[in-house]
Amino acid sequence: MAKSEMKKKPSFLHELFKTKKIAALGLCLLIFFLLVAVFADVIAPVKAVDGQIPTSVLEKLQPPSLKHPFGTDSVGRDLLSYMIYGCRTSVILGIVCTLLSTIVSLIIGVASAVIGGWFDLIVQRFVDAWQCVPGMLIMLIMMSILGNGLIQLIIVISIPAGIGGSRMVRSAAIAVKDSGYAKMSTMLGGGQLWKMIQHVTPNILPMIIMNLAGSLGGVIMMEASMNFLGFGVSVNTPSWGAMLSGQGRSNMYVAPWLAMVPGIAIAIMVFASAMLGDGVRDILDPRLKGGVGSYSGSKLKKIVEQKKQDLNMI
Amino acid sequence: MAKYTVKRLLLLIPTLLLVCVIVFALLRMVPGSAVDQIMYKYSTAGITVTKEEVAARLGMDKPWFEQFGIWVNGLLHGNMGTSLFQAESVGAIIKRQLPVTLELGVLTLILTNLISIPLGLYCAARQDAISDQTIRVISVILMSVPVFWIGTLVLIYPAKWWNYAPATMYTPFLRDPIANLKMFIVPSILGAMTQAGAQIRMVRTMTLEVMRQDYIRTAWSKGVKEKRILFRHAFRNALIPVITIIGGSIAGLVGGSVILENMFNLPGIGQQMVNALSNRDYPLVQGCVLVFSIFVMVVNLIVDLTYKVIDPRVEID
Repeated sequence: MAKSEMKKKPSFLHELFKTKKIAALGLCLLIFFLLVAVFADVIAPVKAVDGQIPTSVLEKLQPPSLKHPFGTDSVGRDLLSYMIYGCRTSVILGIVCTLLSTIVSLIIGVASAVIGGWFDLIVQRFVDAWQCVPGMLIMLIMMSILGNGLIQLIIVISIPAGIGGSRMVRSAAIAVKDSGYAKMSTMLGGGQLWKMIQHVTPNILPMIIMNLAGSLGGVIMMEASMNFLGFGVSVNTPSWGAMLSGQGRSNMYVAPWLAMVPGIAIAIMVFASAMLGDGVRDILDPRLKGGVGSYSGSKLKKIVEQKKQDLNMI
Repeated sequence: MAKYTVKRLLLLIPTLLLVCVIVFALLRMVPGSAVDQIMYKYSTAGITVTKEEVAARLGMDKPWFEQFGIWVNGLLHGNMGTSLFQAESVGAIIKRQLPVTLELGVLTLILTNLISIPLGLYCAARQDAISDQTIRVISVILMSVPVFWIGTLVLIYPAKWWNYAPATMYTPFLRDPIANLKMFIVPSILGAMTQAGAQIRMVRTMTLEVMRQDYIRTAWSKGVKEKRILFRHAFRNALIPVITIIGGSIAGLVGGSVILENMFNLPGIGQQMVNALSNRDYPLVQGCVLVFSIFVMVVNLIVDLTYKVIDPRVEID
């Protein structure tokens, strides 16, 4: 803790690239996926027509070649183009679901903490019960009722995740709510809504942003799992999970690349967001700073140095 | 302790009631859709039914609170309703399939802990050494790789290279334990791999946190051997958060079991639920979700009760 205060505090990105190399790699990979998603129409070798990759019966189940770097599927769609458009689906889902679920947790968590009393008790009992029902099952049921589709999937992933995440928001908000300035606001006649928006939310926002990158990976994995079970985006929307479970599994002996490519893509995306999430948390979370690990061997020396610096600070 | 247990058991009742409300609301509050779906199902099978008939059969012609009352009343009498498409009571179906899911869950849980606790402790003891870094990277890779993808590969490549395929015919454990385990071993290893990825990291972090405590420093300075510090001083104190994590992972385990059961053709509740959902067999779905939720609740209770056993300092009110 003393070290970072004594030196000029390095910028966040600088620190990320300097000390958290794998997290920085994660960030680069995510930016790469984002660019692929944005410029899908430009970079895809076979352009989509009305959001669908053109089929070609003559070229079905081609192994990877120069013309089709990832091969083709059983209706002759170019897998590379499919993956590029599928990336767009994943990126949209990832971003929208992460934001939406955060908003849901914020509303529930902050309201529950600030209003308190009976409201808090009832809401928390509800959240408790909700968390007893495994998320996957809730999502499957909601999906089967709403039907397949991108918007449906967004709702179905975001709302359960939001309700689950509201716990953490609530406990953070309770700590802020009892601080001096928040109490002062009430004394000066500030309403509860004002307190929620003006005092509590901005103060817990860093903690929430810290967790955004990490939850992105969860969303991608959920999307893939739901598509795998057949409750995902509609058939016409390119999706990595759907390619893996549909074409990948039914042609797994003749065309293994149909399962390999989307699987690796999902793994890379989840890996990238998990690593970025970890790095961001390590840098931003004050509780994880300043520790020197176990007291074994050479590390004791470091502690002594740290203690000396702390004394110098005083 | 006994008082606390009783209190927790009593607290389960309102939670359970709320779970019932949630499960019920999820399926019924969306107006008409269940009825429409079932009518569609019948019409594709060439049977004409009127909307009223379907609604009456589902009990959906009554107001929702009455429906809820009937369902909960049935539950209290041990009756979960009758499946719409299988001529069997929901209770009987679940009773038949629960052992499969439980076996998969327990095996996965055991394997997860067998992998993650030793590796996590090892990483904490050798913090930032090459071996620690390697294990951490591997654990993140395990976390990132979708279980259904590895599952697909396990179904493809061993079959291609060595003509080996995981067994897909279910044999009950009591009839033939070897054949039964042969069938469960691959899915439970897969499930354990994904869970272990997250858990190794947790065990490592928690142990490291404990390793920073003053009593560990005291132990070092009075010359206690590393092994003893690790197991007696650090791990026992790190166990509480670790057990919390194990409890928290149960809900995820259930989600994973849905995928694994579907993939390896295990006739468990997870597979049943997905089939029931695509059949729009809502009473069966309700039953499956309820059983899963009770399972999660009971595990959470056991986890809370274990705290006191592991750490006598834990105050329970």
